[in-house]
Amino acid sequence: MIHAVLIFNTSGIPRLTKFYTPVHLSVQTLVQKIFSLVYSRPAGLCNFLDAPELEPYLAQNEEGERWRVVYRSYATLYFVFVIDGAESELGILDLIQVFVESLDRAFENVCELDLVHHILAEIIQGGLVLETNVDEIDDSVQLAAKLRRESYASSNPLALGGGLAPRGSNLQTPLGWLTGKLTGVGAR
Amino acid sequence: MWERTLQDLIRGLRANKADESKFIAKAIEEIRQEIKSDDMVLKSGAVLKLTYLDMMGYDMSWASFHVVEVMSSPKLHLKSVGYLGAIQSFDQDTDVLMLTTNLLKKDLTSSPADIALTLNGISHILTPDLARDLSPELIKMLTHSRPAIRKRAVLALYKLVKRYPEVSTQVVSRLKDKLEDPDAGVIAATVNVLCELTLHNPKDYLALAPPLFHLMTTSSNNWMLIKIIKLFGTLSPYEPRLVKKLQPPITELISTTPAISLLYECVHTCIIGGMLEGSSGDALARTCVSKLAAFIQDSDQNLKYIALLAMVKIVPTHPHLVAQYQDTILASVNDQDISIRMRALDLISAMVDETNLQNIVQQVLSHLVTDTSSSNVPSAAESLAQHTIPPIVKPSLPSPSASPAYRFTLSQRILQMCSQNTYENVTNFEWYLSVLVDLAHVANVDVGVQIRDQMVDVVGRVKLARRYAVKLMFALLSDDAMLRNAQDEGSCSEVLWAAAFICGEYCSELTDPQKLLPLILQPGISNLSPDIIAVYIQAATKIFGFYAAEVAQRWIDDDLHEVKAVVQMVIERVGPFVSSSHIEVQERAANTLQLFNFILADLNSYRPRSTGNPFDESSSSYANSDVISEPRFPKSLFIIQPLFSSYELNPVAQHAQESVPIPEGLDLDAWIVPPPADPLSLSEPGEKKARKKIKREKGKDGVSGSGNKGKKKQREENGKEHGYNGNGLVTLIPLESETETEEQRTERERRRAERLERQRDDPYYIMDKKPSKTVSPPHDVDLDSIPVVKLEGMPAFLGPVDSRLPSLRSTPFQYSPEPFYIDRVGEMPTGAAALTNSSPSSHHSTPTPGSRPGSIISRTASPAPVRLSSGLTASISSFPQYEVADEDGQPATPTPEPVKVQSKKKKAPGTVTGKKKRPKAVAAS
Repeated sequence: MIHAVLIFNTSGIPRLTKFYTPVHLSVQTLVQKIFSLVYSRPAGLCNFLDAPELEPYLAQNEEGERWRVVYRSYATLYFVFVIDGAESELGILDLIQVFVESLDRAFENVCELDLVHHILAEIIQGGLVLETNVDEIDDSVQLAAKLRRESYASSNPLALGGGLAPRGSNLQTPLGWLTGKLTGVGAR
Repeated sequence: MWERTLQDLIRGLRANKADESKFIAKAIEEIRQEIKSDDMVLKSGAVLKLTYLDMMGYDMSWASFHVVEVMSSPKLHLKSVGYLGAIQSFDQDTDVLMLTTNLLKKDLTSSPADIALTLNGISHILTPDLARDLSPELIKMLTHSRPAIRKRAVLALYKLVKRYPEVSTQVVSRLKDKLEDPDAGVIAATVNVLCELTLHNPKDYLALAPPLFHLMTTSSNNWMLIKIIKLFGTLSPYEPRLVKKLQPPITELISTTPAISLLYECVHTCIIGGMLEGSSGDALARTCVSKLAAFIQDSDQNLKYIALLAMVKIVPTHPHLVAQYQDTILASVNDQDISIRMRALDLISAMVDETNLQNIVQQVLSHLVTDTSSSNVPSAAESLAQHTIPPIVKPSLPSPSASPAYRFTLSQRILQMCSQNTYENVTNFEWYLSVLVDLAHVANVDVGVQIRDQMVDVVGRVKLARRYAVKLMFALLSDDAMLRNAQDEGSCSEVLWAAAFICGEYCSELTDPQKLLPLILQPGISNLSPDIIAVYIQAATKIFGFYAAEVAQRWIDDDLHEVKAVVQMVIERVGPFVSSSHIEVQERAANTLQLFNFILADLNSYRPRSTGNPFDESSSSYANSDVISEPRFPKSLFIIQPLFSSYELNPVAQHAQESVPIPEGLDLDAWIVPPPADPLSLSEPGEKKARKKIKREKGKDGVSGSGNKGKKKQREENGKEHGYNGNGLVTLIPLESETETEEQRTERERRRAERLERQRDDPYYIMDKKPSKTVSPPHDVDLDSIPVVKLEGMPAFLGPVDSRLPSLRSTPFQYSPEPFYIDRVGEMPTGAAALTNSSPSSHHSTPTPGSRPGSIISRTASPAPVRLSSGLTASISSFPQYEVADEDGQPATPTPEPVKVQSKKKKAPGTVTGKKKRPKAVAAS
């Protein structure tokens, strides 16, 4: 099962933290610990984070198998998944890719500050993988966004464009979008 | 009205970087206002902002009720904000969750979008109560017309079963149906849920194997195949037939699938599912290991990592297969990626055996060595090179070995690999001891305590390593840098504890042990931590004891000067520690000082007896002639040695303590000091006051003082007085001997009952299990019958203890040696056991020096010069007893009684310092 999904930028500011299993130690300490460890890893190393410093934070099952931290970095963002033995390590790497592609597609059309959460909700529910097909995910995201938009429009008949938030007017490179959009109105 | 949106908040955060916390405090203040508003838009905006701040680490649990309010909004775009807030901030203890039952039920019957939102939320926030109440609705959702909803419903069932296991049977049958759902996504989700549920309770899901097997052979969805394969890995250990059935398809998948993730899962499942056992599994095992080995050599670091993960699991069953790739695996320990190093370390620790241990440990150790040396001091060649050519600035990343946590892990791994199963894999203990010393030097992290324990343990268990150990420890003790840096973090100065102990305990291995004394008592040791100093002092005493006994044996009068000098040196060096603020150091120093003062006095009064036969050296002469009252040498030279060497110090078997029989007549449950008769009457504040008063009055004017009091008070005090006496705290003789009236007795009983009632829940009172016994006073109460430990009874108090103490103290020596069986496996390297058994004095016998290096298992132990052991002990035993008290005015030690070799089986009072209990050696004499 997936226990947590974290996104943070290169300054360590969390852009999304979602815990599917409550952690007993402070969430912030854990996030900061993971960030500092991930951030110090140069490119080219493996995508699994294993460090003696982290071990006290990660739960262990009866056989002594610990949670695993899988991460990928895209431009200035780090995507981190915390998983246990029931997930395939390589599968999760693919899933992160799926997540990022879905974000990519969705942000082409929608701009909501909480969109990341909504997209994640189409991929993972309660720590279990809901859907892995990017097209399906995109469809669901678009549908849900459309419904929210309609709901918004119905209660704000005067609003222009029917969006929840003004469209970002930024046209960016394929990876630049992520930074710009996930940080809301620009990097802090 | 002007409110900030989330966007404004983020913008504001960016603008107020310098004073973020102040800005956020202000923002939260605004949110507190907004969230109370009746305007749902404003409220939901506030919740959204809070959700954002929650991610930044600012608590939003206080707003949980408002989150529920927003959740109940009929507008989808607001409702979704509410659910988002709930997912982010609710946990199992959020109390408002109990208010949501109806809301959730209602939302589950709403539009598909609402249902999807609700199912997603439920997967996060479900509590056992909610699970119970919502289970019918959730199960109903499995048949929803839309696949997207069915998918979510299936996943929500996982939480349902986890929170409310009562429904699991029902759910399992429904999930079985869902395996045949027309929608592939629903099937995948079902497999996903089953995979999780199976982990917790594999046996309940064996019935699902056939449909899953069918899916496995027909599906081409890799995501789902991975999960099915994983699932079978969990199931097959519980169903042997499954193994047979799975082997062919999985073997085929391994050889055909192009997806590496699937291939890896197949290999992994083969390993954990027990499919590699037996002859049919052997070929598969070979395939698996070769696939994994290919992964390890792959340039993709991720494959390397997971291959190491899986290898660890195959080592226990197929070590020989993995061993083929030992070099590759060892190379991964050098990987620059710490994640890979960690896994490789795991793997090699699982791989160690007798043949490769030295190689592996050396390699791991080199990580600690090279990194420190290169980072701290450039080698001569390096510094030369720096002068000739401009130094090349390498953009190298900090090596993983620089991280203290990693160094700690490495050090612990080394210790663990070597010591596992009581040194199962160590064949050469001299090598291991030098590894320990090296480790202490290079570790640079706090593993000193572990290293120390290992050293002492090894030397205690492996007799033949002692000589080498003493040599090594001698070097360690002479290492000035170690002493100098003792206070530093990670200096591992604790090994000096072991060094001092070993040198002290086994100084018989040294030819000139007295040369150690100046070293071990050098002024620099004050830099060490107190418990190490204490061991140093103790070791110095031991060494002197051995040295003095040796000198005495071959006494010539010229030795007097030298011995005197040594004694004086010891006195001088130990002296300062007498005023140590650490109690252990102080005590040991004081003891040592007194002993040595005594010896010095004896030496000073010694007059050489030129008349004696100077050639009568054989110790036997002493044994023969008890009549000779004056030995040729100063008697005090033999005072210390018996304290330490009368019993051999052996490793204690793990269950030794519990196998000590309880001596006859010793009742462990009996009170040593009888308990206060009535613990309940103790320490009632009121009573104390009364007591003080009485004392004071007594002091003032005796009898008349109490006479002044009212009758009631007097009674009260008398009554309590006896209770107090019962505690043995104060002695107060009743002023007037007054028999208790019936009235008084009931009154007292009543008060006791009250007090008992009060104290029952007071954690500071440990109640007697049968309070009635102590509480209700005997019927025929008179003053004498009240259970009182008389205070005059101090002697009476000591009485029973006195009679018991000697028997307690001596018990360990009264048993036949059987209960203290020695763990041979742990104690000796293979092959050495016979040697030990045959020679009772092997403790002191030494191998011939020539055959030493690497030959601890050598059987050529020479009958070496008998320095100590039986001969010496015999000679001691023939001496007239010392009258210590006469010579020094104070009894420094218990008088050493004659110890005869054959009397080893009996207790030897006076030879025990109390610091150590030495399980007796199996005396074969």
